[in-house]
Amino acid sequence: SFVKPDAGWKKPRRIQPTPYRLETEEKISSAACGYGFTLLASNTTDITKVWGTGLNKDSQLGFQRSRRDQTKGYDYVLEPSPIPLPLEKPQQTRVLQVSCGRAHSLVLTDSEGVFTMGNNSYGQCGRKVIEDEIYSESYLIHQLKEFDSRVVQVACGQDHSLFRTKKGSVYACGWGADGQTGLGHYNITSVPTKLHGDIAGVNIIQVSSYGDCCLAVSDEGDVFGWGNSEYLQLASVTETTQVNVPRHLPFKIGKIKEAACGGTGNAVLTEEGNIFVWGYGILGKGPNLTETAVPEMIPPSLFGWSDFNSDIFVAHIRCGLGQFAALTNRGELFVWGKNLRGCLGTGRMEDQYFPWRVTVPGEVVDVACGVDHMVSLVKSF
Amino acid sequence: MRGGPGSSPCTSRGGGLVARVPRAVETEAETRRPDPPRGRESLTDTGPAPSGGGALELVPTRVPVLADHPLVQGPRFRRLKIGAGHRLDVKASGVFVLGIGHGNKLLTDLYNCHLTKVYTVGGLFGKATDDFSDTGKLIEKTTFDHITREKLERILAVIQGTNHKALLMYSNIDMKTQEAYELAVKGLIRPMDKSPPIITAIRCLQFALPEFQLEIHCLHETQQYLRKVVHEIGLELKSSAVCTHVRRTRDGVFTLDDALPRTQWDLRSIQDAIRNCQLKVETEIEKTLGHRDNSPVHQLDVQTAESAEGGHP
Repeated sequence: SFVKPDAGWKKPRRIQPTPYRLETEEKISSAACGYGFTLLASNTTDITKVWGTGLNKDSQLGFQRSRRDQTKGYDYVLEPSPIPLPLEKPQQTRVLQVSCGRAHSLVLTDSEGVFTMGNNSYGQCGRKVIEDEIYSESYLIHQLKEFDSRVVQVACGQDHSLFRTKKGSVYACGWGADGQTGLGHYNITSVPTKLHGDIAGVNIIQVSSYGDCCLAVSDEGDVFGWGNSEYLQLASVTETTQVNVPRHLPFKIGKIKEAACGGTGNAVLTEEGNIFVWGYGILGKGPNLTETAVPEMIPPSLFGWSDFNSDIFVAHIRCGLGQFAALTNRGELFVWGKNLRGCLGTGRMEDQYFPWRVTVPGEVVDVACGVDHMVSLVKSF
Repeated sequence: MRGGPGSSPCTSRGGGLVARVPRAVETEAETRRPDPPRGRESLTDTGPAPSGGGALELVPTRVPVLADHPLVQGPRFRRLKIGAGHRLDVKASGVFVLGIGHGNKLLTDLYNCHLTKVYTVGGLFGKATDDFSDTGKLIEKTTFDHITREKLERILAVIQGTNHKALLMYSNIDMKTQEAYELAVKGLIRPMDKSPPIITAIRCLQFALPEFQLEIHCLHETQQYLRKVVHEIGLELKSSAVCTHVRRTRDGVFTLDDALPRTQWDLRSIQDAIRNCQLKVETEIEKTLGHRDNSPVHQLDVQTAESAEGGHP
């Protein structure tokens, strides 16, 4: 049964179709949406740095002690609750970033490496797979420190994890049947291992993954991909449906600044501020474009660009499983894709076939997309 | 028609102008006869021929044709039907479209095109009045030193964003179609029916505390709504603002250049203006209403007029 959360005056509702303000004790600097759960992190030096809410059946939110029975934990967390991290210096370390996958989460700190928790059946938490391990109500939070340099970004795919280090190399662990670990085989990896292939020696500045496909951007503006290609995500370089070694994607669309990988579709942001999409699904160019192997540009006029306002461009791009979110330099949020249970925030329940502005009472600083929900960090005017 | 709807002092400008223009046209038409007076040839008897013989001779002479005489013909323009386009407040100035005679039908077509209008709105920070303009009763005074151009532009971006959503919503297009996507890319989605006032674009032209000037492109608005927008901008910036002037610089296809100032409210200029704008109006109606109705557009015969900038220096 459910225990009523502290904010008992709030009526529970199944669907939230428009942005809803979540009150938090601290200023949140990073948010991540998993498959049915959310992690919020603040870069404070206080003891409580990360809060989690949502599904906790695999302890992806750590151990949440039940109030009724001190020995048991909650399987569902109904409001942002603190996640205790086993930090050596809890009052000095800061949490830089959080990332969530299907049933596991990663917390990146500035001096104590990466903490992983949740399901480890495929080694996605970076520790050895224990047969018949029970993941619910588990206290285990694993710490990963053995990388060639400090980890500066973490990204979670569905059942695998990617780590990007300061030196520009990428490490991966977890499920590899689609080649998403990029290590040259299709087995699971339970220890973070460095990737080679076309990214060997390349300084990678960003990695992204959410489903079974992965993209990495180098400092020179090239994009590399590996993993699942059943939806033409990597069809520009190969006919096979799985790619297990990072391959350079030879797109002639200009220098790429940021990439975002969704479940079936991918998007990149170029230096000029244009978005290119490819893959399968609702890509953002109307209902007629459902799949393409070659990136297609989304007309900037859909983001508010016009002769009247010619200095508007897209600053960030993010992907959820079936939806995309773009942030413009004016702090506006545009979403498109499948509107599962109102996750786009447009107020309507229909799918959105081209970028649509979401009314948010403030400037949107960052956004995180999940399967059927989205979280945005907003600065008030 | 003279007093406009209601008897409040803030009546629309249409009544007065609509009465003045036909009078100007009629009186001028009477005093100026553009065509040279016609003459006709007729044969008259002159009397006995000089060469003698007693027979009468016919000599051709030129005799004025009385059919052209003003007393016979009567006034050239009688009872001109003049209709007004989009309303303009007494306190506002700018382009005001009138239609003469057959042009009234074009006015309805232009109304159905739902084209945007462009206004230049001037505002003043620090005061708030009851009717949002600087001539109203003062309600409160506030400080405004904290306002910067960046803050103003952020608020303008928000206004534009929310109105952009309203634009798409009221246009009644099914968002799921490819057609909707294509119109959205071109920026042609706009409500073709009644809708609340929508601002399609807004930007800051000048900013010199406490004054500022905005350029607003809008649909289905009233000038009072624009003054209210200025007031609300003041509130959003945690201060207050009043509107000093509202000037319409474009109404659909008619811009300031096409408009006639008060000194040119005479027959010749009106006719020239009609001729110059005829093509523009035709193409716009054709483009927007297109194949829906053919007759008024193709039969039109130069009868749309424009009128002038009203007072308020």
